[in-house]
Amino acid sequence: MRIFGFLSKKVGDLTVKYSNLPESYIKRSYEQVYWKNPTGYPQYPKAQVTRKKFRFTTNRPWTAQFRQQNETGVLRKKVFLEPVGEWSFFKGDRVEVMVGKDKGKQGIVTQVIQERNWVFVEGLNTHLRVVGKDKDFPGVTVQSEAPLLVTTDVKLVDPENLKPTEIEWRYTEEGEKVRVSLASSRIIPVPKSAEETIDYKSKDLYIANPDKDTSADVVTKITFEAKLRTFEMDIMESMGIKEDRVPAKSYWY
Amino acid sequence: MSKITTLVNFISKRTISLTTPREGKRNFRKFMIANKRGSRIHKQKQMTPEAELEIDKRGVRDVGYNLNGQFITVPEMIPELIVPDLKDCDLKPYVSYKADNVIQSKFTAQQLFDAVYSKKIVTDFKEGKLDADGLPLQPSEEEQLQPDEAVARAKKTGSDIF
Repeated sequence: MRIFGFLSKKVGDLTVKYSNLPESYIKRSYEQVYWKNPTGYPQYPKAQVTRKKFRFTTNRPWTAQFRQQNETGVLRKKVFLEPVGEWSFFKGDRVEVMVGKDKGKQGIVTQVIQERNWVFVEGLNTHLRVVGKDKDFPGVTVQSEAPLLVTTDVKLVDPENLKPTEIEWRYTEEGEKVRVSLASSRIIPVPKSAEETIDYKSKDLYIANPDKDTSADVVTKITFEAKLRTFEMDIMESMGIKEDRVPAKSYWY
Repeated sequence: MSKITTLVNFISKRTISLTTPREGKRNFRKFMIANKRGSRIHKQKQMTPEAELEIDKRGVRDVGYNLNGQFITVPEMIPELIVPDLKDCDLKPYVSYKADNVIQSKFTAQQLFDAVYSKKIVTDFKEGKLDADGLPLQPSEEEQLQPDEAVARAKKTGSDIF
């Protein structure tokens, strides 16, 4: 049931890509398994009692703050999420706000939270909040952006006439999948900031750690020689381990 | 009269036992009762060869075998970690993000055959060094092996034939 597998994925593709972590690790880091049937007993099916309802926020799923927000026993109200089939909003996209105080204004997307269909636009849909208020200290007023829903509050901007448009994903002649504005049929390219991750702003800007990172030429070097030995036999030969004993003859019936 | 015979069926017929009927015996066959769990009788029975359940080793493999009630240790079954010297190894724990993703095709048995045996077969055929049956006149080491020798070689330490 492929749909079930697709729907049960709570963490978005963009989040996984942003983290540079394997998806299985992310799942492992936020899952809360309360009971798992022991393995190796045919009478017990592969069943587990696990927490299924998580509250996704700007805190990423592998962080400690996410764990704190989703502690055992903490029940939150259900967040109703419209499932977006093809995600079309990336970091660095030019977008127009359709609702709220900043209706009609255009801005650039700074953050995308796929698990909540959220998009944060720089400087728009903001509110003021006071940070660090003390008895003596009046506190610092900070302007922070509120999230906007991708389905209703925000629309991508057509680069030709800078107007908000509906878009569609289509294939070019080369076979590349691109976003096309329905109003003017112009391609809206995916911005360069979309390839940003925790470790780098873009791959060519990444500075490798010489002690821990294997360089590209070493990785792509082919050192394999086809030999008629298994892996263990090859190691025995290279390490000089001699084992000439042959196992006793055995028969299959 | 018939009413009395039918009424007899409704009189409770209970028996009294002066000893506990099953003496604490319960069906442990269905539930996982690891080594220290279960009633006293069950644990005693587990210690004899008529144990009801398999002794739960918790994933640890035996280092030998049981023969006539005695456990014989086999030194070859004790795992030994073989760690190579990483002095001249250029490979580091992580890979730089700048490196391209290497996608390799599967290394099949056909490819192994081509790499190991095919060259000699082709050169022998072209130079005419094959006799009437098609067997090589100057067989290489692998070609000289007899079937039982080859099987013995394949089953030596490190084999993946089980």
